[in-house]
Amino acid sequence: MPTLSLQIPRADIVSQLYPLLANQTCNLVELTWEQHLFHEQRSWSAVSLLQSVNLDALSPIDKANIWNAGRAELTTKPGADRLAHLADAECRRWQDTNPALASVLQACSTWSRYWNEEESFHETTLNHLAHQLGFEPVSDESFLEFRKIFPNDDMLRTLVLLAISEITAMVNYSTCAQLAQDPGLRKLFKQIASDEAQHLSYFISFAKALVDSGEYSPKGAFAITHFFLREDGELQGSQRQKKEQRNTHVNWWDALEYDWDQVPNNLARKQGIIFSVLRQITGIAVHSVNEVEQTWMDLVGC
Amino acid sequence: MLRHYICQSFAQAVNLSAEEIFEKDLTLSEIIAISDKLQNSIDLMESFARVANSLKKEYGIQVRLPALSLDTAISEVLEIFLEEAAITSAA
Ligand SMILES: [Fe+2]
Ligand SMILES: [Fe+2]
Repeated sequence: MPTLSLQIPRADIVSQLYPLLANQTCNLVELTWEQHLFHEQRSWSAVSLLQSVNLDALSPIDKANIWNAGRAELTTKPGADRLAHLADAECRRWQDTNPALASVLQACSTWSRYWNEEESFHETTLNHLAHQLGFEPVSDESFLEFRKIFPNDDMLRTLVLLAISEITAMVNYSTCAQLAQDPGLRKLFKQIASDEAQHLSYFISFAKALVDSGEYSPKGAFAITHFFLREDGELQGSQRQKKEQRNTHVNWWDALEYDWDQVPNNLARKQGIIFSVLRQITGIAVHSVNEVEQTWMDLVGC
Repeated sequence: MLRHYICQSFAQAVNLSAEEIFEKDLTLSEIIAISDKLQNSIDLMESFARVANSLKKEYGIQVRLPALSLDTAISEVLEIFLEEAAITSAA
């Protein structure tokens, strides 16, 4: 039987992506096979998970969770489409001067197809479930609105933003699973939460590789984190006092419609995970919002 | 004096002239649109951070950066900086 996996532990592929490519320990064909393998091994059936949900056993909060999450997942396709293009363009930029970094970026652009497909399971499963529950379907107009592609930004900032988005999604889905009394629905939410955790590990891996290459200052990672964590920042999502009015794209965390007295938003838990992720990516440890701001300002300089 | 310093150092951070920004009292989104140094609000935040850092270095004044919506006029931001500076230099 042929060996299925590379002889490199998965934890190393995540944390040592840049040195693995720079030392030519592995190449893009091998890395892509790892991505495929991991994607295939974790795949699940939307049809059978949906069949195990008992529609009559769902609470009003379960239903609000399903409706909100299905709508939010509509924004993942433009996110993944953008990542594919941005990472490929960035790959070309480094091809001559830092080939290992160009390979990291191509691995990232390539992985976006698995990411896109996995998110498509979340989107279609949850929206179909909302339909079964009798919710009015998302209008085509809203569908188009949620599909708008985000404007481009610096690559490291983009990856860290996506990491924070996955953290938020992962914690929210875990909460949905805890609140669900129906075993079928709980299983579905847990499945999606574990997908989001895996997406997070990929974003950590690519972002860390960018920093490890020495070509990207950790400043970008701190800038995005500060943007989310500051007072009335993006992490508060739709609970913020003033949200940006924009018609370029939809940030799903701004579009949630909840009675916020009924669902916990777990800000402290999200923050704790963000600090840990920031340390994994940049090697710089911070433990509070103030430390994030201070470190970011120090990195910006005069 | 301080007002002048803040205007100059912000103008430098966004690579525009102080007259252009402050006389027309541009909004933050207008500044992002015309500055070749700024692509989005994160870049803008970095330029505010630069101003705050140089205030600290030159005057020993600590300014906390506010979260602002992009339709805010630059004169409002300037007032916030000056108020913050007055609080910390009085303390
Ligand atoms: Fe998702
Ligand atoms: Fe995800």
